[in-house]
Amino acid sequence: MIKIENFAFYYSDAENPALKDINLEIQDGEFVLVTGPSGGGKSSICRCLNGLIPHFYGGKVAGRVEVQGLDTMKHSTKELATRVSMIFQDPENQLVAMDVEREIAFGLENLAFPRDLIAKRMEESLDTLGISDLRHRQVHELSGGEKQKVAIASVLALHPEILILDEPTSELDPKSAEEVLSIVQRLNDELGITVILIEHRLDRVIQHVDRLIVLDRGRVVADGSTRDVLDKSYQEIAEIGVGMPPIIKLAHELENRGINVNGVPLTVKEGRIMLNRVFQKTSGPLPQRDEKGDSKPVVEVEKLWHVYPEGPTALKSISLRIGEGEFIAIMGRNASGKTTLVKHFNSLLKPTRGMVTIDGIDTRKATIAELARKVGFVFQNPNDHLFADTVEEEIGFTLRNLGFENGEIRRRINEILERFKLKEYRRQYPRSLSGGEKQRVALASVLAIQPKILILDEPTRGMEYRLKRELMEFLNEYTSQSNTVILVTHDVETVAEYADRVILLSEGEIVVDGNKRDVLSRALLFSPQINRLVQAFDKYGVPGNILTVGELLQMLE
Amino acid sequence: MISFRYKEKGTAIHKLNPFCKLAWVVSIFVLSLIFNNPIYLLLLFLSTLPIIIAARAWREWASLMKFALYLCLAIVIINALVSYHGSHLLWQAPFRIPLIGAPVITLEAIFFGVGMSLRLLAIISAFTILTFTIHPDDIMLAMIKIKLPYKSVLVTSLSTRFIPTLIDDVERISDVQRSRGLELDRGKLTQRIKSRMAIIIPLLSNSLDRTIQVAEAMESRAFGSGEKRTFYKEIKLSKLDIPTLISGFLPVILGIFMRWWGHGDYQYYPTLEKISLDGFECSMLALLVFLLCMIVPLALLKKRIELD
Repeated sequence: MIKIENFAFYYSDAENPALKDINLEIQDGEFVLVTGPSGGGKSSICRCLNGLIPHFYGGKVAGRVEVQGLDTMKHSTKELATRVSMIFQDPENQLVAMDVEREIAFGLENLAFPRDLIAKRMEESLDTLGISDLRHRQVHELSGGEKQKVAIASVLALHPEILILDEPTSELDPKSAEEVLSIVQRLNDELGITVILIEHRLDRVIQHVDRLIVLDRGRVVADGSTRDVLDKSYQEIAEIGVGMPPIIKLAHELENRGINVNGVPLTVKEGRIMLNRVFQKTSGPLPQRDEKGDSKPVVEVEKLWHVYPEGPTALKSISLRIGEGEFIAIMGRNASGKTTLVKHFNSLLKPTRGMVTIDGIDTRKATIAELARKVGFVFQNPNDHLFADTVEEEIGFTLRNLGFENGEIRRRINEILERFKLKEYRRQYPRSLSGGEKQRVALASVLAIQPKILILDEPTRGMEYRLKRELMEFLNEYTSQSNTVILVTHDVETVAEYADRVILLSEGEIVVDGNKRDVLSRALLFSPQINRLVQAFDKYGVPGNILTVGELLQMLE
Repeated sequence: MISFRYKEKGTAIHKLNPFCKLAWVVSIFVLSLIFNNPIYLLLLFLSTLPIIIAARAWREWASLMKFALYLCLAIVIINALVSYHGSHLLWQAPFRIPLIGAPVITLEAIFFGVGMSLRLLAIISAFTILTFTIHPDDIMLAMIKIKLPYKSVLVTSLSTRFIPTLIDDVERISDVQRSRGLELDRGKLTQRIKSRMAIIIPLLSNSLDRTIQVAEAMESRAFGSGEKRTFYKEIKLSKLDIPTLISGFLPVILGIFMRWWGHGDYQYYPTLEKISLDGFECSMLALLVFLLCMIVPLALLKKRIELD
């Protein structure tokens, strides 16, 4: 059992508490989801439970944390390791050995277990996770999902009673994320391990968990069974910026309009049952196909092949045209060629065969720097972008590289700082800003050039809901000024809401290319929640190509 | 790109006990240092080839050798330019350099460079066996076995663990910065160094963040919880390894005796010594090469016996 009493914590250099007035009790065998906006204290509370706070981080502490009867003030992380295990966000940074077997043995070796016991525990954990085929592989060859499974196996070998996972899926693609979560679910079900999961995307995990705790600014805002919290505290939680799964949003919007739903559906299946009555007598016109007319093409790809040296054929005869002002999502499995394709658009990669033309320029004859005035490229992790001493210089760097004049550079910096609400930070060190602010600086440094084409590679991965919405609304506005936005993403809900056109790649080939309504509706895996819901109501005349809550509500009116 | 890292290929050489390989490499190393005679050095170099072929590491070996050959070329040229000993004048510069005099190139100086290059090639070639066929974690275990402190060994092993990650980081960050119009190879030297900072700063800062996360993860897995620590894998010398180990060490003893009896030395300066090998020396040398090459059949035999 975990007991937290009147707990407060300050990081050593902070004025405001990271956690305050925390009183919680978690029973053995519970599956608890901890969520809330970033900076709300999610990670801090988990680090209290295995003693990383205060033993690793220092800082000021008040109150008491007791884990399985042990006071974490008096017992260090190492002592707690056999009771509480922790899995971190980035799988890369928690693996220390060269191969999988030694990785799993690491914790047991530290505890000086005899060799035969290590061997036994290793078999058990490899089997529990179903990864015995990975046992002789080198760690650096594994995919992100495989690494995360190895990390789980390596702590499972210590036979923990409590498993804490700090956003374990935010670096993974949806399929691996799903696999990891169902493994965690099984550990909870079958082995009775208490699971505390931190996650800001509710739609992925909500059906697995018993209890939901919401933290904001270091305090517990809501705590209770998942259904209760989402029913009674919906408004509060939504306001502090927790992203709600579309189906729950729908249920609440219906209640607000006086339609009685009787509770909240947590899954699409529950939704079909609970909302059946509501949609029985409704039908509506098909939503407008918001198609933009044929515009001037800015990206033309003709029979493009790309083969990596000593590697696989990444792209096979891709041909496509992208017009001015389009908002395009490029989707597909991992290693389907998405990133390889967009890297051709600013000449980071040159075609092995075929041709790519950007606004009339053949990329084979242009350097990256020459194309940079037309094509902006924003990568996933802002930490890879930022290096200058101040935010101002960071933005100026891109402009200077491209040979803008000093006066023009100053004008553009001011304009973009204003636009991204970064004025107060202009003289600050960009890397010390918060995650969301860093993302804005990275974006601003690319957008200062006002590129006609903006490419974003998985910008929303691991991003909290509020920031995601801000970014998407900005991109929408950017396309309305006849700029083109190309988004590489796995995030179906975001695509359904904001993109115009979806290109689906598989094994280096285009499988589907068309209006998002055609691509995303009635698809098995790629459909957004709401579409999977309305497919059941097709028989009542509800149009089967509705994708978002907004469209569904519009139809009801 | 050919990677200069350990690759599991499952050959008899990969399966051989690391201590046997270590003994063999040390043998070549010591022998290359005690002998001066270019014939001896050439034979030492040639005796490293069978094991490399048996380990199927010749592609990695060849690309490393290409690099080593450039180094050798540099040695020969530099030695020829700065060493004025030797009596056979090949070329004399028509100008004088203050303090040094007129540069001359002599036949002896060139041959001396070639001799040193052979020594270098033999040593590099032998060491490839260590890097390409011993698992880095086994090297770590071997280091612990010879009583190096665990923590320093772990730090070394962690840094090899993160080399591939670091390479990925460099590629990603340079893609990011080049997309922002950064041109690495333009401008003066100071400009070039400055533009490298756009890659180096994110790389270092990301690595610092990473060290904290790795430390957290290790702490959470009971790292440093007691003085004692066990090791799941162990490198044990089996009976089958003993002959291999001995055949790895014997050449050194033999070599030391040969040197004792005055064989294997060679004078380059002032004139190249005439090389003459008598029958006894020849048979000793043949024995030496034979012993060095024995590691391959012994390794194959061991694999064979273990399979049965």
